[in-house]
Amino acid sequence: MPNEAWFTCLPDCETTVPCGQGRHAVRWEAGSLRLPSHPDAESELVLAALGGDKARCVEVAQAWERHARDLSVLAIGPRGPEDRIAVGWADVDAAAQGPPMPGPLGPYGRLSGPMQPGSTSLARPPAAAMARAAARRRQLQGERDQVRLRRSDMLSLLALGYGFQVRLIGQVAAAHAAPGHDGQPGEHGRPALVAAIAGRLAPVAEQWLGIDPDQVVVTLHGGPGWGSCELTGRGEDRRLRVSLPTGWLASVWACGLALVGRHLVVAVPEPGWPTARVLGLRSPAAEPEPLDVHADPDGPADVPHWEI
Amino acid sequence: MNRERAETFLRLLAEAGLREPTVSLPPSTPRPTPFFTAPTGLLQATWALIAVGALDLETAEAILADVELALVARHGLTGPSRLGRLGLLARAGGGLLGGTGPAAPGPGMPAPAGAAPKGTAPTQTGGAPDRYVPVGRVVPFRDETASGELGLMSYAHTAAGARLTAVWQVRDPLGRPRHGVPPVGQFTVTDDRGGRYGLVFTAGGRTQSTCDLSLQPDPPADIRWLDITAPGEPAVRVGLDRGADDETRADGRSPQVSRTSQSAGEHLLNRVAERLLTIAPEFPHELRLQLAAVSPGPVFNLAAGLGAAVAALEAAEALSPLSPVPARLAALCEALRVPGHGITAPPAPDLPEPWLSMLSHYHRRRSDGTRPGDGFAAVGAALPELDGLRLVLLGLHNFDGSTWMDALVVEAGGRLPDRRHWAPGLDMAFPLSVWVRDGSGRWHVGRPAGWQENDDEAALTLRLLPPLTRSPGRIEVLAAGRSAEARVTLPLEWR
Repeated sequence: MPNEAWFTCLPDCETTVPCGQGRHAVRWEAGSLRLPSHPDAESELVLAALGGDKARCVEVAQAWERHARDLSVLAIGPRGPEDRIAVGWADVDAAAQGPPMPGPLGPYGRLSGPMQPGSTSLARPPAAAMARAAARRRQLQGERDQVRLRRSDMLSLLALGYGFQVRLIGQVAAAHAAPGHDGQPGEHGRPALVAAIAGRLAPVAEQWLGIDPDQVVVTLHGGPGWGSCELTGRGEDRRLRVSLPTGWLASVWACGLALVGRHLVVAVPEPGWPTARVLGLRSPAAEPEPLDVHADPDGPADVPHWEI
Repeated sequence: MNRERAETFLRLLAEAGLREPTVSLPPSTPRPTPFFTAPTGLLQATWALIAVGALDLETAEAILADVELALVARHGLTGPSRLGRLGLLARAGGGLLGGTGPAAPGPGMPAPAGAAPKGTAPTQTGGAPDRYVPVGRVVPFRDETASGELGLMSYAHTAAGARLTAVWQVRDPLGRPRHGVPPVGQFTVTDDRGGRYGLVFTAGGRTQSTCDLSLQPDPPADIRWLDITAPGEPAVRVGLDRGADDETRADGRSPQVSRTSQSAGEHLLNRVAERLLTIAPEFPHELRLQLAAVSPGPVFNLAAGLGAAVAALEAAEALSPLSPVPARLAALCEALRVPGHGITAPPAPDLPEPWLSMLSHYHRRRSDGTRPGDGFAAVGAALPELDGLRLVLLGLHNFDGSTWMDALVVEAGGRLPDRRHWAPGLDMAFPLSVWVRDGSGRWHVGRPAGWQENDDEAALTLRLLPPLTRSPGRIEVLAAGRSAEARVTLPLEWR
């Protein structure tokens, strides 16, 4: 497998962000976010810490850094080019002003009904109860602040557009693809990574084979080689069983290489832009074959379209 | 239990839900309660995994929060009000829904290795065994504004202290029922050694008209009797010589314990079945037969997506694919005519006897119209330890057409369940199943209706559904945990 960075097959990408009184460019270049309108972002952060306004561009860059390893990016972000997310900066502003609400478990989050949860000793002093209540209020306020920041971060990152969304997904996946001492991603993240690959491979497989996305079964591949792929069963029992490494999300899917010329791309041995050499499967049972692919350098910059 | 498979299953279920066009929310759809955007099956699977301890609450919150934002980002961002109401995520810290620190073991699960019981040994009172005594005495009281009676059901002395569990009635000078609590602060209480005590009224965990009266200071463990005197009334002697064990053994009815081996998933699904069976009796008789068809309604809401919960439990290895319980649950849903449960197992041909008894009551076309008069029966029965907890029965009383069982739950090697284990319509604070068979062979299930923790124990009130239709001379109590079940027959003397 190559030693090049996962994003070698991706062109630069740019968008504009409402910042101050105007709109500023935000650029992604070679795996990093750049703020051309804020050449000295560090100094701006110092000024903000002293009470000045923080530029939105700088906030976005900070959010990018905060979530560069966040597996939630994979759960929330797009599953493919058809899965467009329509979050605009007006939505981000509205969310920042919205009132805090209970979490997703809503009214079922606590025992409800006739139960009377509580912990009151037969003779526990009121002062202790008041102190507990105050501590609980502080804890809840802290949680609400973190929730608000996280919501604002996520929506801002989504508002950057599809090109930035897939690049952030690639960055998160690449961060988790670094093998641990056993050659596998950390146990903590495996369920999220399996779901992230399954959620993005399933629509690709549907295009590739016409299989129902719910019949795609994904496992994480560790160790040498690209993984495995096989089609089993018939009818309702038909399953496409695919084992891929976490890095597939970054070096293949995020670069728009998942399906090229009716081949499922499983690895990129020679990454590059606008040409690259990939390993593609013509069918599930076939051996992967090397394919030279090229993208249109004048095509859309968010995610390139590749052809053999 | 396989926690990684549990989480993976849930995340893949979320992915499938995201692909479903039916979960999209048209921007114009009014949503009076904006909390749930996730598919029902995902929610049912989530709480099932939390309830059996296969998934911690923080992870579950994170998954659902991500799903919610993923859905909202695709379908719901039409204006500031919508985003403001839907956008908040419960992701931070310990989560908005729970406390701090890691999730405690699920109901019926052992405490973590090395965890020591809190404070004094849970079944010891200053080194002496806990003491539970049926009382069955009535203490009248009166003053210039009210009169009434205090019905003492039992005396319990544990590490948390000594208390009498009682029912009471207060009447105005014309004899009409009135609100108010008995003036126990004016009562005098003495023991056989001349010790004097005050009574502290506590209603936590009890229903209306029931209370615990704690004795202060804490009496010696071996007092033989108490004299309780209301102002202007003769003293009422409460004998404490006869303990619960003495009574049951003298009657030849020691609790019978049989070992069972329910998986965590089976135990949970049995609790779901019990809840399904108890919803109907909570409604007026004329509405019961229509309940299952009401959508959304209490029966429908509990049953919808149960198939996903079963699949999640199997994925987490908390439920064997060979378990008969999902088929029984499917049969129960069929019998209750509940649609949309999604359980793929074919309905079982037979059901447990208590379920059939409840179904028989459920399907009756008219109410029998009988209800017992208000009254109480003294009980003081400590059941054997079940899943690390000891259930102590302290009294049974009928009030206003309902029947209540007053109890105490004491840690006995395990821990009181974490209240954060939630479920739609299912009370998970108390992890045991409790059934009562009356003298005519009808079964009644005990639904938790009150719960108040006090260190290593909790006051628990169970509402018996359906209520007793008469005051039986004896009942059989069946309490079941995951690892064992206990049966005891209790003679009852009603007052």
